[in-house]
Amino acid sequence: MLRRGCEILSRARKAPYEYRPRRAPFPTLTHESFITLLALAAMRQLLSLLICIGTLVAFSSASNASEYHEQLLLRPLHPSLLLASFNFQSNTSLASFDQQHFKYFPRSLGQILQHANTRELHLRFSLGRWDAESWGARPWGGAREGGTGVELWAWVEAETDEEADGRWLTLTNALSGLFCASLNFIDSTRTTRPVMSFQPTGDHPNSTFSDLHLLHGTLPREVVCTENLTPFLKLLPCKGKAGISSLLDGHKLFDASWQSMSIDVRPICEAGSDDCQLQITQTIDMVLDLQRSKRPRDNPIPRPINQEELKCDTSKPYHSGDTCFPLDTASQEEDWTLSQIFGHSLKGTCPLAQDGIDPVCINVPHARHVYASEGVHEHKDATGYMRCFELSPDKEFEIVLPHQEISEKAPLEQPLLYAERSFIGYGQERGGVQAILTNPSATEAVDFVYMESLPWFMKLYLHTLKAKINGLDEDIIKEMYYRPALDRKRGTQLEVRILIPANSTVVLTYDFEKAILRYTEYPPDANRGFDIAPAVITIGDVAIRTTSLLLPLPTPDFSMPYNVIILTSTVMALSFGFVFNLLVRRFVAVDEADQWDVRAVRLKVIAAVTAFVKRFRKKKKVEKKE
Amino acid sequence: MSIDRRKATIFGSAAILRLLLFTAFPGLPDLLTARVEISTPVTSFKRLQEGLFLYNHNVSPYDGGVYHQAPILLPLFSLLPSSATYPAFTYLLYILVDLLTANALMQIAESGEAGSSKLYTSPRKDKKWSSYAIAAAKLKEGINDMDSFLFNPFTIATCIGRPTSVFTTSAIILSISKAVVGKSFTSMFTLSIASYLSLYPLLLFPPLVLLCYDRRPQNKQAGSIYTFVAGNVVAVAGFLYSLLHMSSFITGGWEFLESTYGVQLLLPDLTPNVGLWWYFFIEMFDSFRNFFLGVFWIHLSSYVPGLTIRLRRQPLFVVVVLLGIFAIFKPYPSISDTSLFLALLPLYRHVFPLMRYSFLATSTILYATLLGPAFYYLWIYAGSGNANFFYAITLVWSLGLSLLLADALFAVLRDELEVERPEMKGKEIRQI
Repeated sequence: MLRRGCEILSRARKAPYEYRPRRAPFPTLTHESFITLLALAAMRQLLSLLICIGTLVAFSSASNASEYHEQLLLRPLHPSLLLASFNFQSNTSLASFDQQHFKYFPRSLGQILQHANTRELHLRFSLGRWDAESWGARPWGGAREGGTGVELWAWVEAETDEEADGRWLTLTNALSGLFCASLNFIDSTRTTRPVMSFQPTGDHPNSTFSDLHLLHGTLPREVVCTENLTPFLKLLPCKGKAGISSLLDGHKLFDASWQSMSIDVRPICEAGSDDCQLQITQTIDMVLDLQRSKRPRDNPIPRPINQEELKCDTSKPYHSGDTCFPLDTASQEEDWTLSQIFGHSLKGTCPLAQDGIDPVCINVPHARHVYASEGVHEHKDATGYMRCFELSPDKEFEIVLPHQEISEKAPLEQPLLYAERSFIGYGQERGGVQAILTNPSATEAVDFVYMESLPWFMKLYLHTLKAKINGLDEDIIKEMYYRPALDRKRGTQLEVRILIPANSTVVLTYDFEKAILRYTEYPPDANRGFDIAPAVITIGDVAIRTTSLLLPLPTPDFSMPYNVIILTSTVMALSFGFVFNLLVRRFVAVDEADQWDVRAVRLKVIAAVTAFVKRFRKKKKVEKKE
Repeated sequence: MSIDRRKATIFGSAAILRLLLFTAFPGLPDLLTARVEISTPVTSFKRLQEGLFLYNHNVSPYDGGVYHQAPILLPLFSLLPSSATYPAFTYLLYILVDLLTANALMQIAESGEAGSSKLYTSPRKDKKWSSYAIAAAKLKEGINDMDSFLFNPFTIATCIGRPTSVFTTSAIILSISKAVVGKSFTSMFTLSIASYLSLYPLLLFPPLVLLCYDRRPQNKQAGSIYTFVAGNVVAVAGFLYSLLHMSSFITGGWEFLESTYGVQLLLPDLTPNVGLWWYFFIEMFDSFRNFFLGVFWIHLSSYVPGLTIRLRRQPLFVVVVLLGIFAIFKPYPSISDTSLFLALLPLYRHVFPLMRYSFLATSTILYATLLGPAFYYLWIYAGSGNANFFYAITLVWSLGLSLLLADALFAVLRDELEVERPEMKGKEIRQI
């Protein structure tokens, strides 16, 4: 058995030019049908081969770049929070992708990209707010993060703008079906074509670059939930069954204080060669509340801590049996285990991750006690704050961090820019937006592009746009791109390039007017307000986002369309009646006019009847005569 | 020249009052600019500022949903120093326009057209107010103070709020003042400018052309009415054509047509105002929207032929009544339109004694004037009322104005009746 496995591998290594999955023994993940017939048991046996051939893989040539890679990074955050960053990355050669040979690249997504001529794709599902003040820089520097709700941007290859719009429509509708999200609601009012923000992260050949159209759409109202996670996991080679993805569970993920799921597809080429690969990177980042996650699932209601378990500051003069001043818990590290946080332990490694990188890492000082389950090798980093675990392939993995009093903490990385945005003003008629952007660096100036894409019913007054730096009016706007909204057709797009010097704060403000909509254009919960997409701040190739905003619009009374139609029509009919009554009727004196009392009416009726009868008789006589 | 001194006093005090309001309350202009009663999407000064900003930064203001005003305003206002840094120039311009309008209004009053037109002379024509009273607010007879121009609070609020409708108002009054002296060419030119600025004054063409025809100079008396009307139709069409071509030259395209006149016709912007359209079209079912847009426009224009034919002998009064109707039923009315109507109505001071419901109409209008802002506040700011509060007030306002208008119409018709049948004077009458 062992020999056979080695044979397969050596054959593959002999002919690297021939397109053949290098790790053929892992049947369910390739699309060659004969291999899928292999029994699961056989796979298990083959798995054990891995160890024996691990060294062989390490020796494989440099051009055989790692085709699948996954890693989980755990980072405790203050206070009693845990950031878990999952990263899954797989490559496939562009040439084989074009021949519909997808390998680790998910076929469902690959075919959509081919059908919509999409060369680069970025899709984000996010919830919550990243608290940069206490959590530091964002994971991946903000590059794998989206605004609240769903955000999608892509480079679509098309010759004209109309064709690009058509393909964008195809793309959004197909992705909508794939991810069970309302992406199909990204219509022309929610689509922008950023000019200064968003640079392609992939390597695109110069010949097609001029035909690439960048389109960007957001759905800030979309609630990201389990139905989006399931298709997300299905795109992974191990499909959430093995490896770090087995930890992902909708109950925990969507219970997080902040979470972001991302999918990035981009072509990467080696410099000076035509050997291009298509890379798909899927990440999930979440900030979990440790105490909340530790609550048992069958009894999730938080209960007050027993009096004897309270940690009180006994130095306070008023400290007694019934008064307690809670101690600062900053120096106390919460105790937790992997299975407590994620609901279950990690089920072995994903056998496809063959790059030899340790799949689980934790960012804590070396002084912190971390106990891992049996058969796990721990590698400590030289920096003193990172340790990684090499897992045994088919054993469950568990780490335990006991309660510990430790003052040393892993250092927080400082973000490039602090950004917050809020509404100013009051009333439902007009308002303003204020964005506060702070450069915390003491030495480096930051050059960034601030982009707003606002819905059309938020009518921006560009002449009121003001930028103040440290409270002073200075001309710091270096460049601006503005595309005004058209009612019911497209939204406002504003991009401002600002250079913010070191240790400074820029305050951007502008006024807007709230349009009142037709009553059918309001959502069912009209008085909740409308979600305004976050502003995107592009610094180099990373983009960070502010939070989304909730804009209350004036509402009509939804219950009375008929009443309004009737009342308005009545007023119009009255005026019409007033005027035309005077115009078409003649004035006479009162005594000249017919008196309309009962007698007059009776006489009139009698006269009319007799006239009618007479005419009727006449007719009869005429007939008789004939 | 005591008369000129009187005029100077009135005009001077009006200008000083406005200047005082502009300077003593620096927040007042912006406050009034933001009021929905004064600024509408098609006249707002703030939107004009936005349009100017975009125009000066080479972004087409018509490729957006904010600026819906005529293109010619853009280069004109670009000539002025920015109103944000030197507001005084803008203030002076608006004061000047108000004074020009008042001057033209005095000319109309002095012509005596209201009391005795070519085909009709009112038996009461000597009871009219002096032109000063009309231009100012000289309360000669001591009745309601709203029938005036320069000191009408509506006019003052409009001037301080600086909507561009004052230019339309001015052009309409100038057009009438030229028509009553028979200068048909100038009259048609100013009417074209007014129509170019806000479209609806085009409906004033039939009565105005009749007024010009009646008052045409003695040496041009030859020629039938048909050739005269046809000539003026050609003149207006020519003026409009050249104005529109000039606009397309200014803005570099024809997209302004959809963004200015298209907005007036199709009402995409439903910002509340004192009129009847906005709430009706918020609540209208989508499938009937276009039908009712048609109905509303037909309703607005249906008054023109009826009034022109019935009141052939008094075309000036047709203009006055039509302006009142526009102030109620046009797509984006504001109190600026009402102030125009109320400025012209005192020309018919001599028939006021024949009005039957002047007290009711006046109190209804006052009631709506006072409660309108209050109810708007309750809806938008306090949140303790809903949209129906303000909507109800716009209904009352429209009813009050139409009552006033119908009553004035009744008075004029009654006046005509007394010429036909002098024995009816003072007798109770009835319509059959």
